Amino acid sequence: MGTVHARSLDPLPMRGPELGVQPDDIEAPGIEHEPKQEVLENKDVVVQRVHIDGLGRTKEDLLTYEIAEVFRAKNLIDVMRKSHEARRKLLRLGIFRKVEVVIDTSRGEDALPNGLDVTFEVTELRRMTGSYNTMVGNNEGSMVLGLKLPNALGRAEKMTFQFSYGTKETSYGLSFFKPQPGNFERNISLNVYKVTGQFPWSSLRETDRGISGELSFPVWKTNQTLKWEGVWRELGCLARTASFAVREESGHSLKSSLSHSMVIDTRNSSILPRKGGLLKIHQELAGYTGGDASFLKEDFEIQLNKTLFWDSVLSASLWGGLLLPIGDKPTSIADRFYLGGPTSIRGFSMYSLGPQSEGDYLGGEGYWAGGLHLYTPLPFRPGKGGFGDLFRTHFFLNAGNLCNLNYGEGPKAHLKKLAESIRWSYGLGIVLRLGNIARLELNYCIPMGVQSGDRICDGVQFGAGIRFL
Amino acid sequence: MSLAAEAFVSQMAAAEPWPESATLYQPLKEDQILLSDCASSLAVQAYLRMCGLPVQVVCRANAEYMSPSGKIPFIHVGNQVVSELGPIVQFTKAKGHSLSEGLDDVQRAEMKAYMELVNNMLLTAELYIQWCDDPTAAEISRPRYSSPYSWPLSNILAYQKQWEVRRKMNAIGWGGKTLEQVYEDVSQCCQALSQRLGTQPYFFNKQPTELDALVFGHLFTILTTRLTSTELAERIKSYSNLLSFCRRIEQTYFENKSS
Repeated sequence: MGTVHARSLDPLPMRGPELGVQPDDIEAPGIEHEPKQEVLENKDVVVQRVHIDGLGRTKEDLLTYEIAEVFRAKNLIDVMRKSHEARRKLLRLGIFRKVEVVIDTSRGEDALPNGLDVTFEVTELRRMTGSYNTMVGNNEGSMVLGLKLPNALGRAEKMTFQFSYGTKETSYGLSFFKPQPGNFERNISLNVYKVTGQFPWSSLRETDRGISGELSFPVWKTNQTLKWEGVWRELGCLARTASFAVREESGHSLKSSLSHSMVIDTRNSSILPRKGGLLKIHQELAGYTGGDASFLKEDFEIQLNKTLFWDSVLSASLWGGLLLPIGDKPTSIADRFYLGGPTSIRGFSMYSLGPQSEGDYLGGEGYWAGGLHLYTPLPFRPGKGGFGDLFRTHFFLNAGNLCNLNYGEGPKAHLKKLAESIRWSYGLGIVLRLGNIARLELNYCIPMGVQSGDRICDGVQFGAGIRFL
Repeated sequence: MSLAAEAFVSQMAAAEPWPESATLYQPLKEDQILLSDCASSLAVQAYLRMCGLPVQVVCRANAEYMSPSGKIPFIHVGNQVVSELGPIVQFTKAKGHSLSEGLDDVQRAEMKAYMELVNNMLLTAELYIQWCDDPTAAEISRPRYSSPYSWPLSNILAYQKQWEVRRKMNAIGWGGKTLEQVYEDVSQCCQALSQRLGTQPYFFNKQPTELDALVFGHLFTILTTRLTSTELAERIKSYSNLLSFCRRIEQTYFENKSS
């Protein structure tokens, strides 16, 4: 058995010849060693001590879990592998800027001939980091101030605060995140926020002030999240010319809801995956913990990817959702689903599909949308191996429908209603991958099945976002 | 509204006749509406009845937020939305219905002056009594105003409205007044109205005008609304010609209406 010492700042007094294993070298086959050292490869070793140097405010008990595996290594390759894994775990806590691993033979009175000392040299993140940006867009300028306190209390808690002061709207958010020590995937997050949004497709302005608490934990292969949210919503007309249906929704309401979501993600990347699938199911029940809004909302997202011949990928996705009002109050425009635009059914204007009144789109209580894509590398592969790999061409087929359902009629009637007057579109375009989070698209779209009242954007359409159909 | 906007609205409005489906929106009658809003709404209803224009009254909990200016009542005619008595009078005039056409310039100026008096005195006194007088605010105004909402939103909205009205009272100089002084002001206003009315049936002799509708709306509501004390109603009852004026208008224009 080994012991863990967490020491501050002093380097190891008895540092033997620097074996200095850097993380990138861990997979390297040979190790330099001095002639006096014994060859330890493939010989059984015992990890006697694991040190962590460079701790300031981080509490030791948090790190014990992350490095516990290293003690179980049996030979040198195993030690290197497990140290690499422990390094990854330490980094994902989000509290260290840098982690380096040093593996050395044991020294000291109780040193075994095949004993090893492993040292993690860590650099903690600063106690508080701030950022200040100005943003201009959408006829509004704003100043955004951000503050982040990583590792606020020593056990990888994270506190973030963001404040945005604009010419038209002000918004802020404060969030506190705490993982369970030893089990980073289990965590709690508390948020307080005020956000404002303007939705020109509905001539609607919405201000939400709310608090929420979220609990995440993994169960077998899935990731589950339970959340309670209390929101004070204020709706208003964006312009004097808003339709009367939108004007009727103006005012204040309180939503207090419990929601649960389950995610299984086996894709190799969330943007332009080459294989794997995604299943996301989310449900929300509002009204049983107080508040004015009372509904049950279900929605799901499925995506499957498969690599075909010649480096091309076939991707199929399906989205759907249902909003069931509970009681006799009608649903609010802020809870309904919207469809259309460069991120869902391409070829139609942003969220400009489905029920509408005088040009303002009111959203619907039930929807489905499906997409079939074929991604290929750029023709003639310019810039291969570098910049060109960020681009893909894609051929797509999107279809979907959004409507209001009369819940007295029964499921057969609903399916029939969702199946008639389907909107669909096809086309091709270029996709640019931005980091690991977002993508840009430039498509040529041909919308079909357009119903009266829908607004289309046929021809060239540009889209940017995180979640695409 | 700016001059250009007014002219534009008049052009648009004049094009169509008054439809059957015109609606007037106000807060919920039983549980939510307050004295000042009820008075304004009744004034508009009386005016439209005097013009012979049919309108349906619809109660909505969020009527105040639906209104383009934030004030009650507002009417939805065709696809136009107009709020408050002044703009509504303009709007109906553009459609060719007016009650004050027979007046000459002097009388019209007098009518405007009295309407200003009612708005500055009676309406402000109603707001003061509702929101600045603590017993009334706690027992009547806040519970009624917040009745459609659930806790804690109800408390937030009620207090927000109270602070807003108190700030406005301070801004116009009524913040320092006592309840007695407000009652005195109401009495003086009623005295001026009573003197102008004299023994005539309406303020401008034979025909009712928007001034009659406005005065009726406020006085009738004060007489028939339960407050923490009956002092306000008593002050008005001391002017008998105003009482018979209210009764006359009620019988002539509202006897078929179901309250």
